[in-house]
Amino acid sequence: MNENLFAPFMIPVMLGIPITTLIIILPSMLFPAPNRLINNRTIAIQQWLTKLTSKQLMNVHSPKGQTWSLMLISLFLFIASTNLLGMLPHSFTPTTQLSMNVGMAIPLWAGTVTTGFRNKTKMSLAHLLPQGTPTFLIPMLVIIETISLFIQPVAWAVRLTANITAGHLLMHLIGETTLALMNINLFSAFITFTILALLTILEFAVALIQAYVFTLLVSLYLHDNT
Amino acid sequence: MPQLDTSMWLLTILSMLLTLFVLFQLKISKHSYSPNPKLAHTKTQKQQAPWNTTWTKIYLPLL
Repeated sequence: MNENLFAPFMIPVMLGIPITTLIIILPSMLFPAPNRLINNRTIAIQQWLTKLTSKQLMNVHSPKGQTWSLMLISLFLFIASTNLLGMLPHSFTPTTQLSMNVGMAIPLWAGTVTTGFRNKTKMSLAHLLPQGTPTFLIPMLVIIETISLFIQPVAWAVRLTANITAGHLLMHLIGETTLALMNINLFSAFITFTILALLTILEFAVALIQAYVFTLLVSLYLHDNT
Repeated sequence: MPQLDTSMWLLTILSMLLTLFVLFQLKISKHSYSPNPKLAHTKTQKQQAPWNTTWTKIYLPLL
C-alpha cells in the first residue's frame, strides 16, 4: 500500500526511450482526413460535430476573430480527445503534464495579446487600468493588472493540469479503497464502488468540460482583442 | 509531483507543438462543410434571355 500516488503521471519509458511523443500523437489518428466525396459514418459524425462546435464557438467573433476558428477547433479536439483517451485504465494522460499545457497556453495567449496590441493599441492599454481608480492607486494598479495579464497563460495551464490530475488521483484512491474493502466488508465495498462509478461518469464530463473551458478562455481573450 | 521534473519538458512540448499545430490543423482543415440537401423544383425555370427583359433596337419586350 506504500506505492507512489503520482506514478501514473510520470512520462512512460519503453526500453529506456520516452514514448510521450507517440502518446501525444495518438489522438490525431482518431480523426481521419476525409478524402472522398461521400465519407464514412465516423468522419461524417466528426464533421457534423466540428461544424456544430465551431458555429457555437465562433459566432460571437468578428470576421477577424473568426480566422482563428481552425486553431480553436483543433485545440478543443486535441484536449478533448487526449482527456478522453486518458480515461482508459492504465493509460498515460498528456494533459496532466504542466509543461504541455503551459506550452499550449503561452503561444495562444501571446497571439491574442499581440493581435490586441497591434490592432487595438488604445483599448489594450486601457485594460491595464480599471475605470474610476483613485489617482494615488494608479501606479500600483497598473503594475497589478500587468502582472495579472502575464499570469493568465499559467493560470489556464494550471487549471487544466490540476483538474485532470485531481480527478485521476481521486479515482485511483477510491479504486484502491474499493479493493481493500472487498475483503473486509462487502456492503461498504459496494457503496464505494457506486461512488467510483459515479465519479467515473463525472470524470468523463470533466474531460470534455475542461477542454471546453480552455478553448473558451482563449476565445474570450481573442474576443477582447479583436 | 513528477510533472515538475523538467528533464522531459522539451520532448513533451515539442511533441505537443507537432501534434496540435501541424497534425490536427492539417486534418481538421480538410473537413468540408457542404450544405444540407434541399428540395429542388423538378421543372426547370425558364431562362430569361437578355433581350427578353430590356428593350433593344430589334426587340420590344411584351410588357
